[in-house]
Amino acid sequence: MEWMMNGHAILYTGVTLAFWTTILIVGICYTIFDLGFRFDVAWFLTETSPFMWASLGIGLAISLSVVGAAWGIYITGSSIIGGGVKAPRIKTKNLVSIIFCEAVAIYGIIMAIVISNLAENFSGTTPETIGEKNYQAGYSMFGAGLTVGFSNLFCGICVGIVGSGAALADAQNASLFVKILIVEIFGSAIGLFGVIVAILQTSKVKMGD
Amino acid sequence: MRCRSVSTMAFTSVLLFICSIYSCYAQVPLLMWTSGGSNMPHLAQPAAGQTVSGGQLASYLKSALSGAPHNVLLFLQDKLIMEDFTMYGGVFGNKQDSAFLTVESALQASSSPLVLPALDWSASHSILELFQGELGIPAVHINPNTLKEIKLNTSQPSLLAVHLPYSAGVQTKESLLKNDAIIGEVLNVFKSQDVPYTAVYTGLKPSRVIEETPVMAGRSVGRSLLQAPPQSSVKPPLVVNNTAGRPCILLWADTLLASYSGKQDDLAIHIFNGSADTAGSVCNETLSRLVINYQNVLDLRSLRLIFSMRKIFFPVSARNWSVVEQVVLEYDGQRAIFNASGGIYSPAEYSFHCQSVSSIQSPLLVPRSATDNANQWKLSFTDFQIQGFNVTGEDFSYASDCAGFFTPGIWMGLLTSLLMVFILTYGLHMIMQLRTMDRFDDPKGPAISVPQKSGEIISISPLLHSLFD
Repeated sequence: MEWMMNGHAILYTGVTLAFWTTILIVGICYTIFDLGFRFDVAWFLTETSPFMWASLGIGLAISLSVVGAAWGIYITGSSIIGGGVKAPRIKTKNLVSIIFCEAVAIYGIIMAIVISNLAENFSGTTPETIGEKNYQAGYSMFGAGLTVGFSNLFCGICVGIVGSGAALADAQNASLFVKILIVEIFGSAIGLFGVIVAILQTSKVKMGD
Repeated sequence: MRCRSVSTMAFTSVLLFICSIYSCYAQVPLLMWTSGGSNMPHLAQPAAGQTVSGGQLASYLKSALSGAPHNVLLFLQDKLIMEDFTMYGGVFGNKQDSAFLTVESALQASSSPLVLPALDWSASHSILELFQGELGIPAVHINPNTLKEIKLNTSQPSLLAVHLPYSAGVQTKESLLKNDAIIGEVLNVFKSQDVPYTAVYTGLKPSRVIEETPVMAGRSVGRSLLQAPPQSSVKPPLVVNNTAGRPCILLWADTLLASYSGKQDDLAIHIFNGSADTAGSVCNETLSRLVINYQNVLDLRSLRLIFSMRKIFFPVSARNWSVVEQVVLEYDGQRAIFNASGGIYSPAEYSFHCQSVSSIQSPLLVPRSATDNANQWKLSFTDFQIQGFNVTGEDFSYASDCAGFFTPGIWMGLLTSLLMVFILTYGLHMIMQLRTMDRFDDPKGPAISVPQKSGEIISISPLLHSLFD
């Protein structure tokens, strides 16, 4: 149990325990006092502003993509730099891996701009006057942002790890690089899938009056 | 005598009832002194806070009368309590305002007066019978006006009872002053005839029952700031009975402001002072309509304010909900309809309460359409509570409030901040896990030497060339 001695683990355990205990006790109290009707998911979804969801989608689109790209680049970059010490010829060719990681971030920023252009003003203030189209717009933008963000996150990590392996293999044996590049291309396609689905999600969005 | 006994019984039953709930202080003080020149045997004063019971009083009287003169004067005031001495006895340095000057001087002139501050009122009530038993003679009730004609025989014991009235409220001080004057007159008569006497001044009933409220009564007994608490309107709710006479709709509001064509009026005042009636209200199992009819408000001949509520079963929550569907104003043949189903709802077993129900600010009442007459009205109800179903009695059920614990704004803020805190935590965790690689560290081995060749400096354009060929 040596990992438990770690201060981080104690902190995380404590916070998680506190969180779930609060939820449990609040839930029990609401149940026994017959106030279960107060737990109203529909109220939460209709009273919170569609703009919050849209903005969360935009923010998550770019930030999660950037996290993925950054993670990938740091993994690949460390390997290239490390391997380049003993085999300097790998430095130039392996920048391709870095560019594949960077592409993921570019997908993210493009989608963020596309999604943010869809946000328009509307004049309703109550659930009836806001209308279904605006709610659908808000949720779609949130969903699209999540989609592109998480796909790019894992795509970036994947490309990064593969690129790191490619750099080290290339340092050992120059003929291995081209074959590994194909693996990287497959890895990079997943990011593209995420972008395509996000475009589809936002195709029906029409916010406004 | 009969009416006195009836009132006594009523007083006793009330006192017993109150005393059964709280522990009561229903005690009466008793003062006993003798005329100057005669001695009363010295009696032990009761302990502080001790209530003297009837039996103890009898033993006191026995020992007192063994040496005191047997001409006993009983000044029986209708009601007396220790606090009367405190309030009207000039004890706060204002001796001149005292209402008991004669009694005080008589007590001081007496050699060893007996003061029982807390005598059980049932004992004081029967003090006449006690003395009659002790002395063996019946009491003679005398009127202070006719006292001068009485000739007293000092050889035989005599028992004279003077009844003194008592009026509560603002006339208390005057009645006490009058009684004091009467006592003074009677004592002077005795002094002029040189008759030694024993005088007793007590009350038949306590003038007020001081209730000792238990600390755990449920009310707050905490300290409060010096500012007097604001007067809260304690009007009872408007009750509408159904055809069987049982209450079925309850309404309460602090104000019901309605504005129309520049004029504004608070409709709640008319409800709670009785000038508006609820004729036309209907309530049955699934529909409740509260109709309030006003006359001559807002320069309108007649105005009807109608709340129509419906009990609807929603299958997702699987319970009955009471929904205020419309708030309708019928005035001078026209109708203004506000839709309220969006915001005014509560489970059917509970009442609905909202601090602000209005059509202007964060509106719960919206005009039915853009062309409806309701657009010319402005409604603003404050501290509004309504119940249309499951009414049992004249009190509201638990109030389901329109404001939840967290507002939508708080939820949105919580969601985004918690998300960002989570991201921060995750990032911090990753950064704090970064470690330098120490697998190949060999503190005892030779240091790494990187070969330095001058031809290794690479420029950018050959790099790009090599990438694309």
